[in-house]
Amino acid sequence: MDGIYSPGAASRSLAWATAFYLVLPILIVVPVALTDQRYLSLPQDGISFRHFATVLSSPEWLGSIWQSFTIAVAATILSVTAGTLCAIGCWRISRRATELVRVMMLLPLIIPSIVYAIGLYRYFGPLGLLDRFLGVVIAHGVTGIPYVVITVSTALAAFDPRLEQAARGMGASLSQTLRWVILPRIAPGIFSGAIFAFIHSWDELVMVLFIASRDVFTLPRRIWDGINENLDPAMAAVAVLLILFTLLLLLADRALRRRNEG
Amino acid sequence: MSAAGRTGAGWWMLILPAFLLLVVFYIAPIAQVLTISVTEPELGLGNYERLFTSSAVQRVIETTLRICLITTVLALLLGYGIAYAITLARPRAQGWWILAVLVPLWISVLVRAFAWVTLLRRQGLVNNTLLGAGVIDEPLPLVWNEFGIIVGMVHYMVPFAVLPMLASMREIDPRLLAAARGLGASRGEVFRRVFLPLSLPGVIAAGVLVFIFSLGFYITPAILGGGKTLMVAEWISLQILDLIRWGLGTMMATMLVAAILVTLLVFSRIVDLRRIFGAGA
Amino acid sequence: MSAAAGHALGLRGLTKRYGDFIAVNDVSLEIGQGEFVTLLGPSGSGKTTILMAIAGFVAPSEGAVLLDGRDITPLPPEKRNFGMVFQGYALFPHMTVAENVAFPLRVRGMSKADRDAKVRAALDLVQLAQFAGRLPKQLSGGQQQRVALARALVFDPSLLLLDEPLSALDKKLRAELQEELKALHRRVGRTFINVTHDQEEALSMSDRIAILNHGRLVQAGAPGELYERPRTRFVADFLGKSNFLEGTVRQPAPGGFMLEAGASRLAVAHGQGAALPPGTRSLLSLRPEKIALLAEGETAENQVEGRILSWSYLGAGFALRIATPDLGELRAVLPAWKSPVAPAEDLPVRLGWSADAAVPVEEDAA
Repeated sequence: MDGIYSPGAASRSLAWATAFYLVLPILIVVPVALTDQRYLSLPQDGISFRHFATVLSSPEWLGSIWQSFTIAVAATILSVTAGTLCAIGCWRISRRATELVRVMMLLPLIIPSIVYAIGLYRYFGPLGLLDRFLGVVIAHGVTGIPYVVITVSTALAAFDPRLEQAARGMGASLSQTLRWVILPRIAPGIFSGAIFAFIHSWDELVMVLFIASRDVFTLPRRIWDGINENLDPAMAAVAVLLILFTLLLLLADRALRRRNEG
Repeated sequence: MSAAGRTGAGWWMLILPAFLLLVVFYIAPIAQVLTISVTEPELGLGNYERLFTSSAVQRVIETTLRICLITTVLALLLGYGIAYAITLARPRAQGWWILAVLVPLWISVLVRAFAWVTLLRRQGLVNNTLLGAGVIDEPLPLVWNEFGIIVGMVHYMVPFAVLPMLASMREIDPRLLAAARGLGASRGEVFRRVFLPLSLPGVIAAGVLVFIFSLGFYITPAILGGGKTLMVAEWISLQILDLIRWGLGTMMATMLVAAILVTLLVFSRIVDLRRIFGAGA
Repeated sequence: MSAAAGHALGLRGLTKRYGDFIAVNDVSLEIGQGEFVTLLGPSGSGKTTILMAIAGFVAPSEGAVLLDGRDITPLPPEKRNFGMVFQGYALFPHMTVAENVAFPLRVRGMSKADRDAKVRAALDLVQLAQFAGRLPKQLSGGQQQRVALARALVFDPSLLLLDEPLSALDKKLRAELQEELKALHRRVGRTFINVTHDQEEALSMSDRIAILNHGRLVQAGAPGELYERPRTRFVADFLGKSNFLEGTVRQPAPGGFMLEAGASRLAVAHGQGAALPPGTRSLLSLRPEKIALLAEGETAENQVEGRILSWSYLGAGFALRIATPDLGELRAVLPAWKSPVAPAEDLPVRLGWSADAAVPVEEDAA
């Protein structure tokens, strides 16, 4: 809408104020993480990286980071596999029943995680999945499916169904059509879904609070304890590392989409 | 061209893994929650009676609804302003505005809550700055109360409010606005009589989204409420983990799910739910 | 590209219902070896559904599809070995021209060397060898169409199915590719089944045309036969333009009768054996180009007086709208050199045509 019609001063200042409100509080953790003091504060005599050093040399923090990472990778594989196949199936069959399946796949976005978390707490007990790597992977993997279904469905909406017909008409089997025609075309959508599913698991806390306790102690769980017990600059350092990591993933997503559109 | 009858079992098999995963590991645990709410501690609707008899239960619901409504209104207001600016911005500037919305969306909710604590607590940056500047004599109570919860929740919800509103604003033909001005409408009138009505479906969708997300919100209220102001999600957690009162906790969880589904059902008559949940719905 | 004989295809009582809607209604058709048959009809006539049923993408509600007498109705599309050119071509955008053409060979597990040879031969056939390494979006519409043809022919399919193969192209290119497609058909000697809504395309390319309307097969035959002897009003109207004359049958005789319309009596020589009973209503189709403007003293088997309502100049000739007292408004198209008078509005004229120019047609069932 460039140039044709521009907003007035009032709406412009509201927008700027909102943008500051959204971004600045997040940025404030950067100077706090670089403080030379022992407590949460802005740097006073200079900046220091010692709080980063504390985090990166602490076996607890590193252990949690590694655990969160492996859980997120495994959960992402689960979400991407199940979600992609499901989105393709629903797209191809496209009936009332598959519309319902798609709505069902969105439930984890709609129903609050607290409800699911207390359900899992009871459900996993008899299955022996409490405080287990596998249990957390299943919980995160299942709740990550909606992100993949949404991104892959969006990619499929732009996919010409005649390409699939053409492939089948030329003698390609279902798996050949999937591998050679459909998947290469929707790869960017799958990748976006994978990133969102990864971030979902990587950040997830509510379920972990209920289904994990000692053996599985993810990064969000350690941050949660940190916030509730000892607010120190090391927490800010962790926050900065997390922000950087998220930005990196989002940039990767953006770059990949650019390349595919270009 | 529907190829009904030719869509072999193969395609259905593709749906199966996700379907089974969801039924066995999502629907079943939640169904169990609903069941527990009428079977523990004893069979019947005893837990639900508390909705009418227990003032503690009523207080939690009241607090939650109040905070959610305030959050929704504020998030819509701020979100509308930013979505409006994005829609009318030049393409290059649009990219930056969208970044300002999307980056907070994907940054860990814990990190954001932590940032607010750093800023708002008694010895936090805001209070220290104001004290240092001599504006106040003693620290303001900015966090571990309802104010703190709302600041953090609105911060979390604004991006969710922006996306549906932005989508519906982008469908508005910019020539309509130019035409309205050409026909003699002032800037304010163009906004009130053309832009606002046309963007309303997005506003409603955004309102529904923010409201249902707020209802079951756990982490931000728990950290910024400091245990003094309880919303339902934290209250449920308290019943289950600390008080081991499964019946009450699951009853409240059921009410939470019911409230969300009813909200969606009511508003699905007014707006297309696809607006709320993107192309996948 | 061996000149292997084509295969014969039969449709037996093919019917497709979508709920209450009948897309294809009891269509039977025999298509011979090496024939070029066009399914022609307006949109919604069921022609594409029939093609999709032949290809195997649509399962018929009733009836059967036979290949050389063998029932192939239950076979899925990938087992039928039919080549198909899709509307809009459906080229894989992420594959080069060569990869697109190699696709059907790749799914059949052919070795790379064999594949390369076949792909080269197929691209040579459509004169696109130098574009092998390009992506489809780097080609023009006509080139894409030819890639689609090469891809559909490279695996020696039993049949070639073409779904509106030329509809995406502009008029001039379309005429060019009609010629090419016809030549290609002659060269490869395969059975081609084409779907179009463009009557000119159908007339110029096909050995035989099957005309469809509302899911029913109305008439099938060689282009000339359909044009000269349309069986129903719809066929006469859809394939070219036509005047329709209504009247009562008088003096029936084998091979002809007199049609009474108001005060006019028209001689009709339809050349068909059985005589129509006298007194029945009859509908005639009369092509505009078969009407002549009569000069002073000139006579014809049928003569009608009229007045020119309007006229337009077409370059090669004139198109006239003429009001007649008994037959209503008639349209005539005549070459400029054949017109005895310069057309002008309100000019009284005499029209004439031979007895065999008008053909009795049936009203179409609703």
